[in-house]
Amino acid sequence: MSTTDGPTLIPDAKAEQDAITRESNRTTRGGFFAPLADRWNRLSRPQQWAFLLVVVVIAYALPVLNPPLITSEPGNDWPITCLQMAIFALVAVGLNVVVGYAGLLDLGYVAFFAVGSYTAAMFTSPDSPYLHIPYLWTLPVAMAVAMFFGVLLGVPTLRLRGDYLAIVTLGFGEIVRILATIIPAMKGQVGFQNVGHPPGTAADGHPIFSNSNGTPWYWLTITVLIVILLLAGNLERSRVGRAWVAIREDEDAAEIMGVPTFKYKVWAFAIGAGIGGLSGALSAGATGFINNQKFDVQTSILFLAAVVLGGSGNKVGAILGGAVVAYLPLRFTAIADYKYLIFGVVLVVLMIFRAKGLLPARQRLLAYGKVAYARVAARSRAGSPTAATKTEGTAK
Amino acid sequence: MTLLELKNVSVSYGRIEAIHDMSFAVDEGEIVSLIGANGAGKSTTMKTISGLLNPRSGSITFDGEDITKMKAHIRVVKGISQAPEGRGVFPGMTVLENLDMGTFGLKDRSGVKAGFDRVFSLFPRLAERKSQVGGTMSGGEQQMLAIGRALMAQPRLLLLDEPSMGLAPQFIRQIFSIITEINQQGTTILLVEQNANQALTRANRGFVLETGSITHSGTGKELLANPAIKEAYLGVG
Repeated sequence: MSTTDGPTLIPDAKAEQDAITRESNRTTRGGFFAPLADRWNRLSRPQQWAFLLVVVVIAYALPVLNPPLITSEPGNDWPITCLQMAIFALVAVGLNVVVGYAGLLDLGYVAFFAVGSYTAAMFTSPDSPYLHIPYLWTLPVAMAVAMFFGVLLGVPTLRLRGDYLAIVTLGFGEIVRILATIIPAMKGQVGFQNVGHPPGTAADGHPIFSNSNGTPWYWLTITVLIVILLLAGNLERSRVGRAWVAIREDEDAAEIMGVPTFKYKVWAFAIGAGIGGLSGALSAGATGFINNQKFDVQTSILFLAAVVLGGSGNKVGAILGGAVVAYLPLRFTAIADYKYLIFGVVLVVLMIFRAKGLLPARQRLLAYGKVAYARVAARSRAGSPTAATKTEGTAK
Repeated sequence: MTLLELKNVSVSYGRIEAIHDMSFAVDEGEIVSLIGANGAGKSTTMKTISGLLNPRSGSITFDGEDITKMKAHIRVVKGISQAPEGRGVFPGMTVLENLDMGTFGLKDRSGVKAGFDRVFSLFPRLAERKSQVGGTMSGGEQQMLAIGRALMAQPRLLLLDEPSMGLAPQFIRQIFSIITEINQQGTTILLVEQNANQALTRANRGFVLETGSITHSGTGKELLANPAIKEAYLGVG
């Protein structure tokens, strides 16, 4: 029912009762994945952990398993495909903080990815004349620099809303790309070769983290991804997460509930930017080379498509969306040239049949935890109709 | 004792002035009603008091403190809470989550439990629907939820923006009797309404707004008896 309902006819007792019964049954979002989500929520905590452990083990084993049919070979190296999927998943998790949690449409997210990439390259590549630091140190540094840029962009622009914010972020994405072209120190199209990598040498004398071997990079990336997921999950359940959901749903209402909306929006932007920077640094290290070519608007749109496809506001959905968006063109090389066409069609179809993405978000009862929520839900299912009739009598 | 005072407040949207040189005060413990037609500046007044809009000139004091430039979320902590126009419940949150958002600004959380009990005793309907998602509720229930959520902030001054808008007559009477009950529990209430009859009957004092200025003021009874107001707002004349 919309919030702008006009006056309704006073219903008779039976219709009233039907409406109460209907509305007190919590609406479950239908579709293919809904029973899965229900089944997951019914599992006990230890069962969920055990299941997650299996998923994590499979995730780590993925590049080694090289499952037939799923594998992207012979077209593309499978471990590198896995790596691309993991990096896209990480990007999607970061963008999901901005778009999914706080509801801020960011069309220039690639800018933070670029900032992270350039930070890693300029601190490690022999082509860069500046201070050199070990590669692993560039990960937190890239995160911090990207967060700084997030705040820098956020403070003047987050007073804007909706479409206006989207336009400004779109512009910011282009500004970063163009700066990379015109600032001599950023070396435009020539770019930076031999971006650093973590230490370690294999038995044959080559570094473990070489640019041709995706597996160690993949492991590093999903380890980072798991850490970020744990942090994001905690944020989601905290006071900050509640504030974000409130801002996303109704910014004015959030403000008059005592939520400092501006502060929390800047935080969402900064945290999202930090994760974007981190994935940029990982990507730069794994590829070993960056120049100004990869950071265009299309890439931003692709990132956004990953979040929307997976289910905006759901971090598991973001991982799925990111992985799918990276996987499809690498697996089906014949269609790679048409990937934007195909993603466009897929998104249109998805918006018609599943507007909330593959795995829609449903925030838990934020303040009371799962157990209390289940209890309340069970009680309201069991007791509501009779209790409702009682007050119906007294209300009149 | 004066709780809220507006002095010569003017508010504009761009070049268009929505409120012109408005002054009025609300005493502690009162119900004060602002009535007026569409576009008279009622909601603008409310948003200016809650802090969503900034006045171009004039000053607002709350409990002796100048809050003219204070951000909206800090005003909540000071004790001003608003149930916004169009209800403004969080559509994707359950009743419990919506109510809990009302406590966001509270530093001392010891009264939260009592706050839930108070809201559920005022609105038994909400107690039955704790886990229902706000967006799927009927208009009247959303209005209850919006008022309940505003009460969770333990306000000293409760701002109600058109609580009767779009409701069935039976619900309107119910909402107004609950508003009186909230007031008797010690919360000062400032109400804007198009439903002048109910609003003035329940109010200690009332003001009539026309195109951004106050044209009449007096006790609720005086205004109800005023022939000009009868004709313009009560549909009799």
